[in-house]
Amino acid sequence: MLKILTAALLTLATTLAVAGAPQSITMKVDGLVCAFCAQGIEKKLKEFPATDGVFVNLEHGLVAMGLKAGLDVPDATLTSTLTEAGYTVKGISRSEQLLADIAKAHSP
Amino acid sequence: MLKRLTLPCLAVLLAAPAVSAKPIAFADGTTAMLEYGGDTMQEAQVFYAPSVRYSLGAGQLRLDAEEGAFTRNISYVRTNVLLKRWNLPRAQGNVFAFSGLGRAQSRQSGSDGGIDTVGQVGVQADYETLRIYTSGKVEWHHAESFTHRISTVQAGFAPYPHRYDGIATWLIAQGRQTTGGVYDGIEGALLLRLFAARRWGSVWVEAGPTTDGKLQAMTMFNF
Repeated sequence: MLKILTAALLTLATTLAVAGAPQSITMKVDGLVCAFCAQGIEKKLKEFPATDGVFVNLEHGLVAMGLKAGLDVPDATLTSTLTEAGYTVKGISRSEQLLADIAKAHSP
Repeated sequence: MLKRLTLPCLAVLLAAPAVSAKPIAFADGTTAMLEYGGDTMQEAQVFYAPSVRYSLGAGQLRLDAEEGAFTRNISYVRTNVLLKRWNLPRAQGNVFAFSGLGRAQSRQSGSDGGIDTVGQVGVQADYETLRIYTSGKVEWHHAESFTHRISTVQAGFAPYPHRYDGIATWLIAQGRQTTGGVYDGIEGALLLRLFAARRWGSVWVEAGPTTDGKLQAMTMFNF
C-alpha cells in the first residue's frame, strides 16, 4: 500500500513539475531583416539537445524555440549563440506556451 | 591589343559586383553561386564562413567576347571580412571588406595568350529593412596590364515584408560606373530578386535586363 502511495505521489510530483516547466523560449532580436541570413540562427539553435523546433518572425524581430521535456538552454548560451550568428539579443523570456501556439499567434 | 584584352578582363571582374548580396551569410554556412551575365560571362563561386566575421572561397569565371573569338578564364581565391554591423530593431547595416588573388588565362582566335595575376580589394556597405534595400560597393583591380575601379550602387524595395518561411520579392535598380575608359557612362540594370529559406537551406534567384538589353541572371544557395 505504501509503495502504491509513494508511486502515486512521485507521478503527481513529476506531472506538476512538467506542467510548470517552460515549453518554449522567446527572444527579441535586433537586425533580423533577411530570411536568407537569419537561417543561420535556426541552424545553430537546432544544434541544442533541448531544442524542439524553431520559429522566426522577421516582422516582429522574434525568434522562438520549443523545448523538449525537462530540458533548457541557459540565457548566456542563447545570447552568445545569436551574437555569434551576427545579431543582437534584446530580451529572453520563457513560457508554458507551445511553439506551435507562438507561431500561430504571430502568423497572418 | 591592350584594349582588346582589357575589355573582356574588365567584364570578368564586373561579374563579381553584379552580385551585391552579403558576402557572408551566416556562421558555419556555405554559399554556392552561379551567374550568367549576358553573352559575355559565366561564373561559379563557393564561399565558406567559419564565422559571421569572415568567409573564404574560390571561384571560376569564364568570359566570352568578340563573338567568341576571345575567351578568358580566371581562377581565384578571395576572403571577405565583416568590419562593422549595426543591428537595429527593424533594420541592419553592414560594412564589409574583401581581397582576392586570381590567375587569368586568355585565348584569342584559337591561340593561347598570356597568364596574368590579378589582385582585388574592395569595400561594401549596405542597409536594409524588410521593405528597403540599399548597397554600395567600390573595388579596385590591378594586374600588370591594367588597373581600374568599379563602383556599384543598388537600391530596391519589397512590395511586401517577407516572412521567414515565405518567399521574399525585391525589385532592385542597379547603377555602375567604371574607370579606365572602358565603359562610357553608367550601366544600369533592373532586377527581380526572389529568395526563400527552407529546412535544407536557402535559395536565391535574381534576373533582369541591363540597359544594353542583355539578360543578367544569378542563383545562389546557402546551406
